[in-house]
Amino acid sequence: MIVLLALVVLGTLLVGTLFAAMLDRSHLSIVAFFARQRVETEAPDRLNRDLAPAWYLTLAGAGLSVVPFAPGLALIDSPVGIVIWGSCEALVIVTVFLHGWSPNAPFPLIGAYRYAAIGLPVMLPSMFVLIAAALPAESLSLIAIVESQREIWNVIRQPLGLPLFLIVALAMTLRGPMDYADAADIATGTSAEASGAGRALWQTARLAMLVSVSAIAATVFLGGPLGPLLPGPVWLWLKTAALMALIVLLGNRIARTTPSRMMWILWVVLLPLSFLHLLISGLVAL
Amino acid sequence: MTDLLVALLAVCAVWTGWRVFRVDSMVRATFSLMLSFVAVGAIGVLLSAPYIGVATVFMMAVEMMVMAIFMVMFMMNPAGLNPMSMVHQHRVSIGAGVLAFFGLAAAILVSRPPSNPVAPDADVVTELGLELLGPSMLIFETAGVTLLATMVGAVILSSRQGRFGSADEGSRPPGLTEGGDPAGQRPDGGGGGHHHHGGHG
Repeated sequence: MIVLLALVVLGTLLVGTLFAAMLDRSHLSIVAFFARQRVETEAPDRLNRDLAPAWYLTLAGAGLSVVPFAPGLALIDSPVGIVIWGSCEALVIVTVFLHGWSPNAPFPLIGAYRYAAIGLPVMLPSMFVLIAAALPAESLSLIAIVESQREIWNVIRQPLGLPLFLIVALAMTLRGPMDYADAADIATGTSAEASGAGRALWQTARLAMLVSVSAIAATVFLGGPLGPLLPGPVWLWLKTAALMALIVLLGNRIARTTPSRMMWILWVVLLPLSFLHLLISGLVAL
Repeated sequence: MTDLLVALLAVCAVWTGWRVFRVDSMVRATFSLMLSFVAVGAIGVLLSAPYIGVATVFMMAVEMMVMAIFMVMFMMNPAGLNPMSMVHQHRVSIGAGVLAFFGLAAAILVSRPPSNPVAPDADVVTELGLELLGPSMLIFETAGVTLLATMVGAVILSSRQGRFGSADEGSRPPGLTEGGDPAGQRPDGGGGGHHHHGGHG
């Protein structure tokens, strides 16, 4: 059973990444990077430069491994599944920071510090949203959170949850309005000095993280594998694919503001909003 | 199997902890320390404390990211990329290290650790929650509010803009040489060029 679940997780990650590349229309550029030469910077931190894309991909896989593919069935059946995902989110910030810090070059470094400054306050709404989702389930286990949505999905019961989590998803996948790491305004930021297979792997990992964060959002807010007629995994795949498309659309449609204004939005608007969300969810769950 | 994993993770924690003092950059030292804590967190998970173990990983990832930013900011070491030594006060720290090692080693050898295995069906996360929000609530809430007050205080102290105007108003940067002219612009000067020395002949 564990082997089967591991294969399902890997298959979902692989097919999902291909689907994400299709949504993003980025498959050709990723393939092209494999043919390109590597760029060497002066005195880089080679260990972190080479490992950062692998860490990012690993975190995407680790995040997906706690997702239940059928009611009561997850590869890592942990009583604290949602905290494991939270750790993956926090480690993504560290990974992106190290990816930008390690080449020892200006643009990647600016991207790294910008992302760390934006990513840390994004963690707070993320945690409140996930804790709120754990309230009706009275458990930190994702399996229990799926079970608690048999009657009504969290997206209806906790209306602010999914919109807030989509902002987190955009930050986790370095996308659109939350892309302060690899944005075009600083010449692709943390990736500015990356080329060749490392760059291709980094882009692939971003797409894999899109699969992972969408699967978590589908599990926490859309009932995950719950649904009529079709088997559980199919429902999860459909919901994940829909959320992936939504996140790509939002990323393409919403403009990015300056980091200072985004800091204001995060601390002054989104943080109190997530407090309010936690309060409402707590009162509803009582 | 679990014993072997715990031993490996313990070696990993000690090795990455040792690396903290051997690397030459604040950022490397910070994230070595993070890896050390991640290994300790994994040991926690193996010792049937899943919440404490995973939360350690989560907290340390965020904490070390904050620390990397603040250390680099306050050390005035551009981006933490300049090579610098991570050790200072050699005599005191060697003395403290030896003392702590022998003290802890003696404590381990002398004391009898309790053998109290957790029952496989025990709901440890629920019990921890009841403990945290029950008998230990006062301790944790006190610690939480104290930490929050410290954070607010630190932010206010390091903020440039304050209630009574700019925090660096009238302050002079230190001289480039002993007792020499201050580095950079003089904040209280009227922007006049007549304060400059040399150059114009």
